Amino acid sequence: MRTIKLTLNGTSVSREIEDNRLLVEFLREDMKLTGTKESCGVGVCGACTVLLDGTPISACLALAVHADGRAVTTIEGIADGDRLHPLQESFLRHGGFQCGICTPGQILAAKALLDANPHPTRAEIQHWMMGNLCRCTGYYKIIESIAAAAGAE
Amino acid sequence: MVKAPDTLERADNSQGVRCRMVAASLSGKAVGQPVMRVDGIAKVTGRALYAGDVDLPDLLSGRCLRSPHPSARIVSINVGKAKALPGVRSVLTGADVPDTCYGRMCKDIPVLAKGVVRFVGEKVAAVAADTVEIAEAALELIDVEYAELPAVFSAEEAMRPTAPIIHPEAVEFVPGAAASIHGELSMYPPIPNVISRLRVRHGDAASALASAHKIFEHSFAVPSVHQGYIEPHTCLVAIGRDGLVDVWVANKGPHIARTHMAAAIGVQENRIRFNPVAIGGDFGGKGSLMDTLVCYYLARAAGRPVRMVMNSFEELTAGNPRHSASITLRTAVDPDARLLAIDARVIFNAGAYGGFVPVPTLHGGYGELAGAYRVPNCAIEVLRVYTNTVPCGHMRAPGAPQVTFAVESHIDMIAHALGLDPVEMRRRNAIAEGDLTPLGEKRRHLRCRETIDAGARAFGWDKPKSPGIGRGMSTYEHPPGNFGLSTVALTIGIDGRITLTLGSPDTGTGFHTIAAQLVAEHFAVSVDEVEIAQGDTLSSGFEAGASGQRLTTTIGQAIAAAADRMKQDLAALAAERLNCAPSDIGIGADGSFSAPGAMIDRRTLMGWAAERGKAPLTCQGENTPGRHSDRTSFVAHFAEVAVDRETGQVRLRRIVTAHDVGTVVNPITHQGQIEGGLIQAVGQAMSEQIVLKDGAVITAHLGDYKLPTAMDIAELETILLPGGGGTAPFSTTAIGEMSNVALPAAITNAVFDAVGVRLVELPISAEKVLEGLRAQASAA
Ligand code: FES
Ligand code: FES
Repeated sequence: MRTIKLTLNGTSVSREIEDNRLLVEFLREDMKLTGTKESCGVGVCGACTVLLDGTPISACLALAVHADGRAVTTIEGIADGDRLHPLQESFLRHGGFQCGICTPGQILAAKALLDANPHPTRAEIQHWMMGNLCRCTGYYKIIESIAAAAGAE
Repeated sequence: MVKAPDTLERADNSQGVRCRMVAASLSGKAVGQPVMRVDGIAKVTGRALYAGDVDLPDLLSGRCLRSPHPSARIVSINVGKAKALPGVRSVLTGADVPDTCYGRMCKDIPVLAKGVVRFVGEKVAAVAADTVEIAEAALELIDVEYAELPAVFSAEEAMRPTAPIIHPEAVEFVPGAAASIHGELSMYPPIPNVISRLRVRHGDAASALASAHKIFEHSFAVPSVHQGYIEPHTCLVAIGRDGLVDVWVANKGPHIARTHMAAAIGVQENRIRFNPVAIGGDFGGKGSLMDTLVCYYLARAAGRPVRMVMNSFEELTAGNPRHSASITLRTAVDPDARLLAIDARVIFNAGAYGGFVPVPTLHGGYGELAGAYRVPNCAIEVLRVYTNTVPCGHMRAPGAPQVTFAVESHIDMIAHALGLDPVEMRRRNAIAEGDLTPLGEKRRHLRCRETIDAGARAFGWDKPKSPGIGRGMSTYEHPPGNFGLSTVALTIGIDGRITLTLGSPDTGTGFHTIAAQLVAEHFAVSVDEVEIAQGDTLSSGFEAGASGQRLTTTIGQAIAAAADRMKQDLAALAAERLNCAPSDIGIGADGSFSAPGAMIDRRTLMGWAAERGKAPLTCQGENTPGRHSDRTSFVAHFAEVAVDRETGQVRLRRIVTAHDVGTVVNPITHQGQIEGGLIQAVGQAMSEQIVLKDGAVITAHLGDYKLPTAMDIAELETILLPGGGGTAPFSTTAIGEMSNVALPAAITNAVFDAVGVRLVELPISAEKVLEGLRAQASAA
């Protein structure tokens, strides 16, 4: 057991956790932030993508202790009150999701891309998003959503 | 009527969808509009509640111990050490659960293995514990002694007289499920391990073949693939103090699943409640109860609610993937390359249990065996066979992708052998208005040739190409499902707002949004005024669930029936309010009611009615189930590949997909179905395969089982030929299973066009192409 302190979606949080607690379990079970999804559990699908100090990581592979002293952003933390993040708005408008299970991960991965590269080419978007699987959309509308959000910003 | 080419609607994926199909009779407010998803905000904010997000006090985690053997007798199981582990709340083996077997048609799946195991991955014991970790530690402490038995993995071998019999006892099945089948069906015929044999005859194929100008025979193999939904199978069962069984499960048809569960556990249907949850992708794979029964028994034994989530290893090794198939086609043609007869044999490997599918055989496995072609004589035989491998289930257009790969390769091979252009071959043989399908069914409003032509033109079929580039095409035809009961309730509240209560989840397709648009259209209001309420199985009317492209048609009919009743009730109210006869009431385009010299809007009317105890108003509606609609959908795909002769590597460069469609309810979700289906087909064509070794799935990690990524998509152009004439309200047809079926053959046909290598087995791999190229070189 140890105590970790982190900034979670802009709020500082301190919690006692097991050393082997995974970040995805910490978020979903301890913090009840179920917007972060778990699917493959082995770092392939990207459904569990969250931002650690702005960098996308697979929360199913990271230990929660890894977040100690750092900032974690989940899907619950990117809207500004009732105002959706431009990427959320864009996914909504362009049909960048269907079942929605991959969507939190897609949006966070895309946010990291646009934060680092505000005007990516389509090829750059495809390449960056390679780690986030989606079985429903065939990716076209995800790419379209991200490109549109980049244009709007 | 055939539309002139310049009125075709195009969706250009680089600039978003630009199609607008508003027929004159539509309000322009709802149907045909790119309405945002009604569940959209919940999904982009992470608020949507999936089964895995449901939390309950005292919730336990359940895990299963699975068989390492494909066929074995269980000599003994010792759970003593597992039970003693702190935090373990219940441990079950086959001896602790009733003997009843479960199945959607064939009742052959035990809750936990009873005495024998029949595939690697079969559930042998189950544990519920305070945490997943404790449950998994407990599984390690269970000792099982097995005595291995002979096993059989290929369907062909399983049918031999010497093959081990996988289910020696008679399997009970629901005969009713066979009603929708054509031809002569035998369940459990006297052939070893055969679940069903279907023979369909139309005309006289034997004579036509005997006297034909030319005969072509080819065989094909299509491996099993996984549905690949990103949300794994998840269920949660809680038994209340009053005995009410509450279930949250990722299942596409909660009402039917509830009925199956009631029968399996011996609890009355109205003492079980399936609660609404969002579904994280289905693609046909989430129609069974999967772990729900074992979850129920664990919860009962522990006296606490239990959640079970399959991990991705379990999904890939013990889910219910698509059936693998081997297909042989013999076709007779006349000197003009017209198809005279098809003799077809299809063998589906069902795996160790048949209960994951709700029908005797896969409908697409015979219905598509002559494609969308005019073939006067057919002789079709389809077998579904048990083997000691992972049990198979339904996946998006069950049976059709396997069989269509064969048919559309076969047609291409015949065209090349006859020196005929593949497009011309298909144009010449495609069914047209007035023709019967190969099964002797009638279709209306057929535009196969027009669709092929529109696609070929957009694709530039006749344009010159560089060496190493190949082009291929394929087609598929299928009507919307019109089977199964759909029941809905419409309520108009005292504020005039409309609520639709239905029993179907949105499996991800956007169906709830479509339903809201259909309701809004009936009342000529904007979708914002309509609320969708997915009821639980106690509070919603019976709904047969998502299947066979049926929901837009069947729930569409139910909504239309409810809306008609509602309009009559509203007219009666308005007549009372405006002091006239109901027949004098007119309904305006804005949804208001008028009588000679008076008018009232819906909200005011409902307020007035509420004061008199006559609001809210609720009306039920249901569909009239039939078989399939005769107004069909048709698609022609065109694919362009580049093949590297040095490495055999195939790159998919471009797809043009041309669809004969009805009214498009929502251009965004419609296009989403097309794009998602196409890329699933790209997976089946290029990378996906459940690989078995000694009966065990060895592609058990998502790193080995390769789903397409954002890097694997190709340039895409979609052509839509809109048109009316559908049997569903507002002349809609189906799109959900139209894009995923035929594309793989277009790609392998393109590979042949590029380098002359014919692939008769999926998926395409550099090795197979290279092998073909080497064979070519050594033959030269
Ligand atoms: S769940 Fe973490 S990458 Fe798949
Ligand atoms: S929207 Fe369903 S997996 Fe991406």
